[in-house]
Amino acid sequence: MKTTIRPLENRWYPYALLAPAFLVLVVVSLVPFLFAMFLSFYEINFGRIGGFAGFSNYSRLMDNERTWNSLWVATKFILIAFPLQFILGLGGALLLNKRVWGRSMILPLLFIPTMMAPIVVGLVWKVMFAGSWGLLSYNIVERFDFLQGTSVFSSPDYALLALALVDVWQWTPFMMLAFFAGLQALPVSPYLAAAVDGATPMQMFFRLTLPLMAPLMVVIGMLRFIDAFKVFDTIYILTAGGPGTSTEVPSLLAYRMSFEQWRIGESAAFAVLVWIGFFVLCSLFYHTAKKKLNVF
Amino acid sequence: MNQSTSQSLVTTKGPIKRISKQEKVSVFWTLLLIVIACIVLFPVLWVGSFMFRPDAAMFARPTEWLFDPTMVHFQYVIENGFIGYLGTSFALASISTLLVVVLGTPAAYAFARFNLRFRDDLFLFVLATRMAPPICMVIPFYMIFSKIGLIDTYVGLTLAYLTFNLSFYIWVMSSFCKDLPLALEEVAILEGHNRFAVFLRVVLPLLRSSIVATGMLCFIFAWNEFMFAFMLGGQEVKTLPVAVPELITTQGVRWGPLAIVGTLSLVPVMLAVFLLQKHIVRGLTMGAVKG
Repeated sequence: MKTTIRPLENRWYPYALLAPAFLVLVVVSLVPFLFAMFLSFYEINFGRIGGFAGFSNYSRLMDNERTWNSLWVATKFILIAFPLQFILGLGGALLLNKRVWGRSMILPLLFIPTMMAPIVVGLVWKVMFAGSWGLLSYNIVERFDFLQGTSVFSSPDYALLALALVDVWQWTPFMMLAFFAGLQALPVSPYLAAAVDGATPMQMFFRLTLPLMAPLMVVIGMLRFIDAFKVFDTIYILTAGGPGTSTEVPSLLAYRMSFEQWRIGESAAFAVLVWIGFFVLCSLFYHTAKKKLNVF
Repeated sequence: MNQSTSQSLVTTKGPIKRISKQEKVSVFWTLLLIVIACIVLFPVLWVGSFMFRPDAAMFARPTEWLFDPTMVHFQYVIENGFIGYLGTSFALASISTLLVVVLGTPAAYAFARFNLRFRDDLFLFVLATRMAPPICMVIPFYMIFSKIGLIDTYVGLTLAYLTFNLSFYIWVMSSFCKDLPLALEEVAILEGHNRFAVFLRVVLPLLRSSIVATGMLCFIFAWNEFMFAFMLGGQEVKTLPVAVPELITTQGVRWGPLAIVGTLSLVPVMLAVFLLQKHIVRGLTMGAVKG
């Protein structure tokens, strides 16, 4: 009797477990997305929805120089921050992987920059580089004559570089600990075999560690890339996109467009496009991680 | 023949010795690591010192390393309602985390254990919800919430926080669920317990520590969150991160109170990094790396 019921039960049971969560996710995620899509096709004046606008919001967005500028700024930001995070993270992971004393005490401390509120990260670096008296602005920037009569975050040439370095400070610990977890999970036997064959540490690193870690590196790299693209809090508090538009990443542009200029239609169009882009990136991440790391 | 074996014996001796040497704790690498940790954390400590620093010692050129501690900034923080923002932050993060755990645990279990139709698509939808830039969500949320009167309410912000936290929780918890041994559930079902009882009495107790860890991460994400709290809240429901940029006024920046607010917001983060060590890596990599 029971054996006939169970397969039937099995058919709806998992969906019953999923239902409450998915109902909520549809309301808080799919509905806003569809609503943004709806908004992007309408004329919107000061929060009031006007007439149907076709693709005019999209074409205005494409004609706007600042749209392309924001993508270029984000690209530069990632090109500076990402390689540094990657290399420093890998170096740190190799260091952690040595037999060091008190690792379990130091490791959590290293995680603080990544886990603290991004707005507070911004605050910390605002203090370090403040005007003419901040610790670094007085003792380094001014003393070595990097800049004169201005602070790092209000200089069009250096603001983005400084923001990228703040991002390096914030996210290198994450790369480091993810890589360290990967190193810890590596199999021992290839290293023993290599040692028996008389391989040097250099050879072991390039012939064993790097190839064995490659899938993990790809996945972590993708994740960091996706995350770096949506940076907002630190930039908002440090430069608010300025000076001019020199640090205006896409998130900041969308913020300024919608909440300072009230061009809701255009920013909805922007949101939809960014959203679609992210969906593609996510599915890329998902399938890569699934294939390379055998997870999910 | 004889020669070659003796030679291989000689060559094996070296590397094995080398490995055993590596096993010993290295003072040099330890010191290097400590120095790096100090450099990394120095800015945080420096800003922390602003809590007790009189204004004159902050703006001093050249930099003043030592100063007479003052408590005036604490007075300012208490008098200007920051304790209330602390309470708001705590309440909001707790409510949303609790909701996430209740809604998310069964869903995560379903993803881990059953052959669902469209599993990949549903799972990807969850991931995309997590990864979507908050600015994309905040624009439609703002329009919807201002229509139905949810701007600046706990309900509105809790709903907004569910986007990134519920999806995060489902995704990471399902990776924990997958690690559970199937055998226990199978035995319980063979004994004739119904499936839901198995979930409640067998699965949930086994997941307890993972639930606490993942829930704690959700708490931190909600606690640290800025954009939603800033755009969808701000008056009645004002969290600690939103109070930070408000201290940067046109008349000047209140550095002392800023340092106190920043340090307060670090308290749960400090707790989490020490309690969750390995889970953090797993959480932040969405379960791709198993800490």
